[in-house]
Amino acid sequence: MASEDEEFTMLFQDFYPSLCRFLECLLGGRAPLAQDLAQESFLQLHRTAWETLPAGEARFWLYRVARNMAINEFRKSNTRYRLFDRVVEAMRPRARNPEQEYEVQERNAMVLEMLQTLPEDQRAALLLREQEQLSYREIGRVLNVSESKVKVDIFRARASLRERWTRLSGISRVARMGN
Amino acid sequence: MNCRFSEKISSLIDGELVPAEAREVERHLLTCSECEQLRADFLSLRSQIIGFETSLQPEVQNRALQKILARPGRTRGLQWNFGTQAIAFAMLVIVAAIIGFVAYQKSNNQRGQKDVALVVQTPSPAPAATVEPGKQPDVKESPEPQPAPSKNSGDKSPRQAPNKRPIVREPKPGEQFAAVPERVRSADAETMTAMHFETSERLLLAFKNVRLDQPSAAEEVGYERKRAKQLVYQNMLLKREADAAGDVQISSLLENLEPILIDIANLPDQPDENTVRAIRERVERKNIVGLLRVNSTALARALD
Repeated sequence: MASEDEEFTMLFQDFYPSLCRFLECLLGGRAPLAQDLAQESFLQLHRTAWETLPAGEARFWLYRVARNMAINEFRKSNTRYRLFDRVVEAMRPRARNPEQEYEVQERNAMVLEMLQTLPEDQRAALLLREQEQLSYREIGRVLNVSESKVKVDIFRARASLRERWTRLSGISRVARMGN
Repeated sequence: MNCRFSEKISSLIDGELVPAEAREVERHLLTCSECEQLRADFLSLRSQIIGFETSLQPEVQNRALQKILARPGRTRGLQWNFGTQAIAFAMLVIVAAIIGFVAYQKSNNQRGQKDVALVVQTPSPAPAATVEPGKQPDVKESPEPQPAPSKNSGDKSPRQAPNKRPIVREPKPGEQFAAVPERVRSADAETMTAMHFETSERLLLAFKNVRLDQPSAAEEVGYERKRAKQLVYQNMLLKREADAAGDVQISSLLENLEPILIDIANLPDQPDENTVRAIRERVERKNIVGLLRVNSTALARALD
């Protein structure tokens, strides 16, 4: 049992932060909710599937379950939670210096804002590709779609983000020139 | 984005094109400025998305793990995970089965006691009907009690031994950015290193995606081998440059990359699956692709 728990702990340490990041981006920056869902996914894995999953499958299982939970949250679309999350986020103690913190916050906010313009399936596919480095085949397994759909979704997501990014950069350049 | 190659640029930077297509797109990039710009923009977007930092605190992570491990009643095999309605329905079935069984027992007892006049009990409050002698009564046997719901076979299945899982290390957010070079070297060397990292990343991604069971596997491996050979020499030169400039991080990354490139370059025409898997596992274990990606984008950003 001890070694099983050790294995699980290793898996948790390796993937929990990545899963949180994936969910946070998917949920539009709702960090506490993302952490709860990541924890819930691991809890389900530990209680139900850990011993029966074949080797190497746990990662895909986790991302699949976590993404389904995130979709359920979208359906709820509860603004009360969103407000609560933002309050919690604002009250969170920070370790970095304010300048670094500001920079990270700015970048994160911009990434989230851009990602939120994408449909959920494109966003999930792109995040799994860029952040988790999964291949199209692996993404297809997580999202339960074909490889060709993954390819198209990722391209469309990139094209759409690029267009938005170019527009935003143009606006900020004009604003800087105005100042 | 009117060029017909646009979509392939996206697959190219993901290392998802077959060698022939990759070569074609790479050749096209040399002549089409629009696609070259598209590629640069896609890579820039990638660096923005990778740069997203989760606000997860270490203490939250530890707390979450403790909560999961401390949760009692870890179930093995099937999990009884029914809702309230399902439980209520199951209870109802059990109660009905008990009542049926008791009624059956009772009717059996009554049959034993009354040999002459057989009384058929009906659920209605109507008076009991007396059967005329000599006439065979139309006796309806009360139904056999249903056997109790059998336990799910999953419960009886032998417990599976836990699988030994190969744990694949993922780049930690801090770990990725720890590899960003601090020291500034000559722009030429940095540009070359950034390009080298990007090409190597593409090679490793493509190598990861090679399917040995496909008929085109030999051609794909041959192509990756050729690219790896070219990159090995470049890798050596750039490592020497990084050593001379005292850039320890870049040098160490190049040092880790070198044996992998050599292994790919030395693959036979028809490599066996174990050899390919061993190289892939080494790439994953050392997180080379992640580090290459972060460093190439960081260098490109610095050059911008």
